[in-house]
Amino acid sequence: MPEDFRARAVLWPKGHLYEDFSVGQVMNHHWGRTIAESDTLLFTTLTLSFNPLYSNREFARAHGHRDIVVNPLLVFNTVLGLSVEDCSEIGGPFVGVGKLTYHEPVYPGDTLISRSTTIACRVSESNPVNGIVTWHTEGFNQDDVRVIDYERSNLVRRRNPGGKAV
Amino acid sequence: MKLSSLTGRDNYFEDFKAGQVFRHARGKTVEPLENVLITNLVMNTAQGHFNEHAMQASPFKQRISYGGVNFSIIMGLASQDTGENAIAELGLDNIRLLTPVVHGDTLYAYSEVLEVKDSDRADAGEVIFRHYGVNQRDQQVFQGDRRVLLKRRSHWGGK
Repeated sequence: MPEDFRARAVLWPKGHLYEDFSVGQVMNHHWGRTIAESDTLLFTTLTLSFNPLYSNREFARAHGHRDIVVNPLLVFNTVLGLSVEDCSEIGGPFVGVGKLTYHEPVYPGDTLISRSTTIACRVSESNPVNGIVTWHTEGFNQDDVRVIDYERSNLVRRRNPGGKAV
Repeated sequence: MKLSSLTGRDNYFEDFKAGQVFRHARGKTVEPLENVLITNLVMNTAQGHFNEHAMQASPFKQRISYGGVNFSIIMGLASQDTGENAIAELGLDNIRLLTPVVHGDTLYAYSEVLEVKDSDRADAGEVIFRHYGVNQRDQQVFQGDRRVLLKRRSHWGGK
């Protein structure tokens, strides 16, 4: 092995480009994430999210919850975060999120997993180097109960911008 | 513990009417503390949010704050006034990120009441807010609608 490791190295790529997506494909995203109490307290305090349901266990219990409630925006950001490598890591900017529903509260110790279904793919008219892909993403807890779902669209770079638009 | 003494008295369901617009009192400067920490905490793998060296070669010349962090801060800045007396957050819609945010930018929040309506609970009603976020140059960076179930003072104000 005379050559330097850098000269021998092959990039181990991450992420997907426009041509990798097709309507109807389902992606079960990697890893999952158990939400620790410290996660939601840190998120809640750093984002100045001031409802005692997220910071005061006795207050949450007095409202019928078994523990402090995990901040819903942390639930959203975690379910989205787990979907990034499959959907948008190397693609391009975020376009928007819509039709988001919080179905069930999440509590510290719950484990979230994320799944996305591709629901639309089109080439951008204003910038044909990119496509716009829309996914329906769902987050589930450890009991397979759906806790959140939403639609997200992103610009996604095309591998072959001169190729036929699909 | 007297529950109603822990939250505001002027932000129950009965206080909101369609058409009201509020400018929230506090702003927050986005630092790596928020962007990098939360991006990594939620396992968002897009390195444009956490690799300063790679982003120096981009048109932005620096890391871009993750949009989910930006709008969580903007909704946070609006939360005391529009969600402190929430029983539950119901959903979001029409979320748009309009201007990139970088470390050092300061975010401010505005909220407009789009709709107030009864819910299926006697003790709470539903409000739809449109939240707006602007940066220190008064450029709009965010817009999004939020549905929330707010306590009625008539049921909760004395608890």
